[in-house]
Amino acid sequence: MYITSLKAISPQSTYDESFFSGNITVHSGNKYKALEPNYTGLINPNLLRRMGKSIRMGIGAGFQLIQGEENIDGIILGSSEGGLEDCIKFLNQIVTYNEGTLTPTNFVQSTPNALAGNLALMSQNTCYNITHVHKGQAFENSLLDAFLLFGEGKAKTILLGNVEEISDYNFNIETSAGQFKVEETTSENLLSSSTKGTVCGEGSTMFILKANATEYFAKILDVDQISYPTENEIQSLIRKFLEKNNLTPNDIDALVLGYNGDSRTDFWYTNVANTIFPQQAIYSYKNYVGEYPTAIAFGTYLAAYLLSGKSISILPLKHSSKPIKRILVYNHSNGIQHGVILMSA
Amino acid sequence: MNIYITGFGCVSPIGLNADENRKSLQASEDGLGKSVYLQSRYASLKNFGEVKADTETLRKELKFENLQGLTRTDILAFKAFKEAIENAHLLAEEISSRDTAFISASTVGGMCLTDELYNDANFLSSGSEYIRSYNCAAHTLQIAMFYGMKGFTNTINTACSSSSNAIMMGMRLIRQGRAKRAIVGGAESIAKYTVNGFNSLQILSNSKCKPFDETRDGLNLGEAAAYLVLEAEDVCMNKPNYGRIIGAGNSNDAFHASSLSDNAVGVTKCMELALEDANIKPESIDYINAHGTATPNNDLIEAIGFKNVFSKVPPFSSTKSYTGHTLGASGALEAIFCLFSLNHNELYPNLQTTNPIPGYCDSIVKQFTRNVEMNYIMSNAYGFGGNCTSLIFAKS
Repeated sequence: MYITSLKAISPQSTYDESFFSGNITVHSGNKYKALEPNYTGLINPNLLRRMGKSIRMGIGAGFQLIQGEENIDGIILGSSEGGLEDCIKFLNQIVTYNEGTLTPTNFVQSTPNALAGNLALMSQNTCYNITHVHKGQAFENSLLDAFLLFGEGKAKTILLGNVEEISDYNFNIETSAGQFKVEETTSENLLSSSTKGTVCGEGSTMFILKANATEYFAKILDVDQISYPTENEIQSLIRKFLEKNNLTPNDIDALVLGYNGDSRTDFWYTNVANTIFPQQAIYSYKNYVGEYPTAIAFGTYLAAYLLSGKSISILPLKHSSKPIKRILVYNHSNGIQHGVILMSA
Repeated sequence: MNIYITGFGCVSPIGLNADENRKSLQASEDGLGKSVYLQSRYASLKNFGEVKADTETLRKELKFENLQGLTRTDILAFKAFKEAIENAHLLAEEISSRDTAFISASTVGGMCLTDELYNDANFLSSGSEYIRSYNCAAHTLQIAMFYGMKGFTNTINTACSSSSNAIMMGMRLIRQGRAKRAIVGGAESIAKYTVNGFNSLQILSNSKCKPFDETRDGLNLGEAAAYLVLEAEDVCMNKPNYGRIIGAGNSNDAFHASSLSDNAVGVTKCMELALEDANIKPESIDYINAHGTATPNNDLIEAIGFKNVFSKVPPFSSTKSYTGHTLGASGALEAIFCLFSLNHNELYPNLQTTNPIPGYCDSIVKQFTRNVEMNYIMSNAYGFGGNCTSLIFAKS
């Protein structure tokens, strides 16, 4: 399937795309917050005031893409958490008012499918609509769903994307679970920190996918995923995944890897790169946008730009002189849920 | 290619296993009442469809006393999952195979522990054992880890149609050769969070819910877990089965975050898409297991949708009058009820409904009926966010 347009709201200046021409925002600490655009003209101010951040970002990234298409045959979203800020607001209301008379707005917006519903409502789209919430694989599973829908001949154009927001809810819980760095790092030294933990990011990345296209950013050839693998299992999965697509490791020109600076789990990436792809260029992205369950959507976004032929000034972790025609995007979430996405120019 | 249902398992307010569920349906016995286990001021004010066992008893039965961080949602999910795989006689290597997908669904996930979540999310504790258990996908990952599942795993949340979409995706994966079998369903437990959410929308009834009744005044929240084993024809040729899944339709109502459009746009479209996908005519449907939540909005709009699709509306009923609304589990639980009907040629009546909505309920099932010819059954689910899904099951 073909990526014909794409949009991201992220902790970098991706909305105006100046990120790709060298406008890099340096973040410090454990929260990489999204740089949100001015939504005026895009979202009705009355609606905007009541919208939680995840819905706002998702509409900001997704609605314009929908407006650029004549027909959308499906809206497929991946989000581990949905509107967490609304969730904790409602939770706090329950306790503060001792289960008294509460306002439903936060409750209704806290359901992870609220964004897909809102996008359908705003565009009066009655087609296939779904939200995958499988934590660290919610985005990969959305892509697989898109492959199924195209394969069934039931869609020509799909809006597909992710959203995740930083809120006290996930930040505090993940902090207690030891997810984040204890010491202060910046986005410039995150990946070389060699300590436990990572940083928390957020954002929404949206794609228009088409079954057929002559002009496009990049192609997505296939997707696969596995949970709780051993190192042998993930390597064997990647080799078989390439074989199934009639490719060998040498056919891959670059890797986009989910390095997040966590010394406990970054070895997965290094071992896959060293064992299967010793010559290939390596790009990273979580040093720009932080870690979150569906961050691989941003990796896919970066890979699409790398394959688009546009000149971009994002530096790889490891150079290669080969022109980039095929990319393998590989990500895992805490070493538990792993996903691979195969893309080409 | 035919896709057969070779096993199922469920735990619900009307039974701790599939057999008990069917017996309650046959006896027209609902599982609604005041809550025994919910810690909430509404526990004794509202009616609920609560699973009639406490979490610790269920945990012991599963021999999970030593496992940390399991919520009631997880425990219910494990129980129904175990029954389903045993019922389908799946071997350990079949469960863990890369060819076996596992797609679950939930809306509340581990947030059933609303108070623990409040403390953990506000740094009021040093981190409870449930810190990794609140996510919607937590139960899916627990099960995948326990059974060493290496195939595709997924969790879907489209509110009240979540597990209908899990069934639909399992069917689609098998059809396109991405899996040979799929274990599909959902799990949900009653949570202070959802009770207050639905209460703030003023759609919780103080009495037993009355789907499609003129005086219906809201739903009863319920809890359940239900899983079905779907297998491609070529891997289950010699196995007994309970029927086939032959079609599904997914649409969005594109109207309102928490209510359905007056002319039933999404409701109508998902049924039409399911019929088209199954390649059968509306008149072939012998029974509809309605979404029928018993809210004023849902039931009327659903009944309007029936009239849009069917020139003669087939017999229908809402089994939420037995179980309450089990949210993310309801699609899978009601799919199993449909398979009971299909296999035993029996119709389960709508309970508590004495004055059906005039002009719309001529074919509502009023009493338990045996020896009904059943070939095709439709099951519907609609959720917040406009998410509508319709499934069609057929005799094998």
